[in-house]
Formats: sequence, C-alpha cells, structure tokens
Amino acid sequence: MKGFWKKFSPYLMFFTSFALFLAAFLLGERIPKQLSLFMFTLGGLLLGFGVTALALSTKGLTPEEQKEMARGEYDERNVAIREKAALSSWYWTLYLLWAAFMGIQIFVGGLWGVAISVVIVLHCTFYMINIRRWSKRM
Amino acid sequence: MTNRIAELRKARRISQAELADGVDVTRQTIISLESGRYNASLLLAHKIARYFGLTIEEVFLFEEESE
Repeated sequence: MKGFWKKFSPYLMFFTSFALFLAAFLLGERIPKQLSLFMFTLGGLLLGFGVTALALSTKGLTPEEQKEMARGEYDERNVAIREKAALSSWYWTLYLLWAAFMGIQIFVGGLWGVAISVVIVLHCTFYMINIRRWSKRM
Repeated sequence: MTNRIAELRKARRISQAELADGVDVTRQTIISLESGRYNASLLLAHKIARYFGLTIEEVFLFEEESE
C-alpha cells in the first residue's frame, strides 16, 4: 500500500492541481477573489510537489532498477495495458460527462452548459487523436 | 497459445531477469508469458525464439480455439 501511494501520489497531485485550475477558471467571478487565489496557489503548489516527487522517484534506485524502470516505459505488455486502460477510461468518462451534461442542461444551464459541452468536445478530440494509435495495436 | 519459454529457460539455466534483459522487456512480461496470461507480439516472439536459437513454432505452440 505504501509503495502504491509513493508511485501514484505525484500523478494524484498533478490531477488535483489541474482540477483546481479548471475549477477556479470555470467558477471565475462566481466565487470570492480570495478563494480563487487560494485555488490557483494550491494548484501551483501541488503541481510543484508533483514534479519534484516524480523527479525524486528515480533517485535512490540502483542502476539495475533504473534500467528496469526505463524499460518498463516501452515494454510492449506495459504499453498494451496502458492503452487498454486509456481506452476503457475514455468510455467511462464519456458516460459520466454525458450524465453531467444532461443534469446541467436540466437543472442549471447557462455558462455551465456551455462549459460541459466544451469538455465533451475536447474529450472526443482526444479520442480522435488517439484512435489511430490505439487501433494500430489492437 | 501456449509456449515453452519456462522449460527452455530452465534447461539452459537462464534466469527470468537474464531473459528479460536479452529480449529487452521487463521481468513481469516474462512472468506473464510463462504463466500464459499474456500472448507475445510477433516481434517479441521472434526475439525470444532467436534468443533460444529456435524458430517461433518451436517455442510458441499455437492451438486452434474450439468453438
């Protein structure tokens, strides 16, 4: 469990920081300036910690372990697992986005409706960019 | 598809790490191949067969799947 958190905490920090940036950007004038500033600051801090943690994660490893880690990046099984996971998570996030879209259109509307539409378009653009790469391997 | 990787490796007294090094994959991939959880790509199958000095057919045993 400790190893799991050590490995994934930098990515969690990246994700949280981007979520904070996005939330602060989307909420804009609707929230107090101090809160917006806090969200941007926290996002920046988490991004910094994430980069540092990722840089340090390769330090302290033996040359053999570093070699194995580097090999793991392009190992065909790892690549296949990553791409399968990416494709699977794309579908799930699309369903969630559509649910959010419907909810927002019915109950909220306005700027949020536009924002969720933009997110869905970006999500589909990501798929269009990656589909050729994924289909080549499957 | 089954394979003789573990058998060939043990006969030649090669460790999983050495084989992984030789064919440029991770040890986890060798473990998965040996246990049959993962099927190698044609490129990797070729590399493994060449590592043992055999043909692909001699290392990987293709079995027609029953309907």
